Amino acid sequence: MALIGAVVGSGNIWRMPYVAGMNGGGAFLVIYLVLLYLIAVPGLMAETLLGRYTQRGVIGAFKNFLGEGWSEGLGLVVVIVNIGLMSYYAPVIAWTIYYLAHAVLGTFYQPGFDPTAFWAAFSGSPLLVVGLHTLVAVLVGFVLLFGISDGIERVVKWMIPALVVTLSAVAIKGLTLPGAMEGLAFAFNPEWEYMTDANTWIAALGQALFSTGLGWGIALTYGSYLGKNDDVPLGGGLITAVGNTSIGLLAIFTVFPAVFAFGLEPTTGAELTFVSLVSIFPSMTGGYIWGLLFFLGFLFATYSSGLGITEVGVTTVKEETRLTRTQSVIAVVGAWWLLGIPSAYSSEFLGWMDFMFGNFGLPLATLMILILVGWVIDSKRARILDLNHNSDVYIGSYWDPIIKYVIPTVMVFIMGYYFATNIEDPRAISGLALMGGLTIGSILLMQFIRRGKTNEPALTPGGD
Amino acid sequence: MAETLTAFGWVVMLSMIITLWCASIVALRKTLSEEDKKAELITKQGAIESYSPRALFELREWIENHPNDPYREIAVQRYNECVETLKEIDEPFYDWNDSQISDLERL
Repeated sequence: MALIGAVVGSGNIWRMPYVAGMNGGGAFLVIYLVLLYLIAVPGLMAETLLGRYTQRGVIGAFKNFLGEGWSEGLGLVVVIVNIGLMSYYAPVIAWTIYYLAHAVLGTFYQPGFDPTAFWAAFSGSPLLVVGLHTLVAVLVGFVLLFGISDGIERVVKWMIPALVVTLSAVAIKGLTLPGAMEGLAFAFNPEWEYMTDANTWIAALGQALFSTGLGWGIALTYGSYLGKNDDVPLGGGLITAVGNTSIGLLAIFTVFPAVFAFGLEPTTGAELTFVSLVSIFPSMTGGYIWGLLFFLGFLFATYSSGLGITEVGVTTVKEETRLTRTQSVIAVVGAWWLLGIPSAYSSEFLGWMDFMFGNFGLPLATLMILILVGWVIDSKRARILDLNHNSDVYIGSYWDPIIKYVIPTVMVFIMGYYFATNIEDPRAISGLALMGGLTIGSILLMQFIRRGKTNEPALTPGGD
Repeated sequence: MAETLTAFGWVVMLSMIITLWCASIVALRKTLSEEDKKAELITKQGAIESYSPRALFELREWIENHPNDPYREIAVQRYNECVETLKEIDEPFYDWNDSQISDLERL
């Protein structure tokens, strides 16, 4: 349940509608659904079992099976991608704080309120956006430093259901508005030309990983906290992936009817959820309360995700360096705060970072984890020895080739297809450079740090 | 752009609802009931076995077929732990019957 709490956040409510809107609606959702069950569900089982077996952070898990040296760089890729993702996730938390404050003040209910102009004024104020980004860094650092994450998680357990109720109420209202059907048609009617477009496939792959948390190192880190009697396949795999995406589907039912009812543009970009939802609250009975509940629930969801994401880096840095937990928190939060300033300053830069890290960084990190489980540990051995250990459902031998062959092949094919058809697009070249630079740089860095050390892999489970 | 849902649009929407919302509810109910049962048995008898019959037989088969595997020792340890627990507890978590349990031996 803690893993679901960590992953339910902006990936489903903020990112899913905007990425679907920019990639053909229905066609994107069909591809997304296929990749969810083909990649995210079995992949999350693999990532979670890796954490439960080793009881270590990301680099420690790689070291457990590959020994010390350059190969730890493959784990470092996951940590760097995680910090890169958090660098632009934090500004989204900052937006939520700003919108919550205005939900309290009742700004959205003033006569003549224009959601698009409101967004433009907010995002055009560097002091405000960078200041709020800094506030998020302080709030995340504070909770992780003083170890009160458990308290936040307890609140989140109540806030997530409240958020679901609020989204449902807004969706019901949205579906009764004139033009709502056009929103559903946009969201679900598949436009077939998008089905063969490499951009749709790469976006759906990125979203399947982003919204379920696969490849972030979160499942691995939470898996390392699991007890020996805890189940992995159902809780860590199926429910985490499908449960989170269920909230994304609810967000689609909430956002698109509103977008069309209020004449907004579905391909607006990163701010789509914020702009569309504040349009709908004033037309609802008790709109002030619904708006307040939504932004409060959304803030807790994104904030708890921010804590979960940051914990991946903190656990790893503390394990692998001589830094104390306090120093590790300061180092990791400081890193994503600094890296996140351009994203806080410009939502266009944030969109670019999201495209790069979501569509290229995350698949790369996921490949590192799945190659470790599929080829180094061997997926059959991992399943027989650990995945079915205390599991609530039996996972059969079909899982072995999915992890070892199918997922890597499908992911490499989607990325290859994208690069082949977009070779002149600067974004494709940047994506290739990011993947190559991350892999080579991480391996060289770990080789340099571990020079002279030749410890053999431990292979044994940790703390079991 | 179409102003209403096409037949394919309805199929996509209903497929999403069934494969996401319905699947989530079924999976959540299953895991909550299983985890409750686990917690109840652990409280009552102090331990539960760690593999289902199918998973344990598969583990044994794997151990027998991989005598030189670096993970064999861990696999044998886990196998024996499960067998010992099954012989000690009154009520297994998975669907073990008495004859299956009495046939089990440590490796």
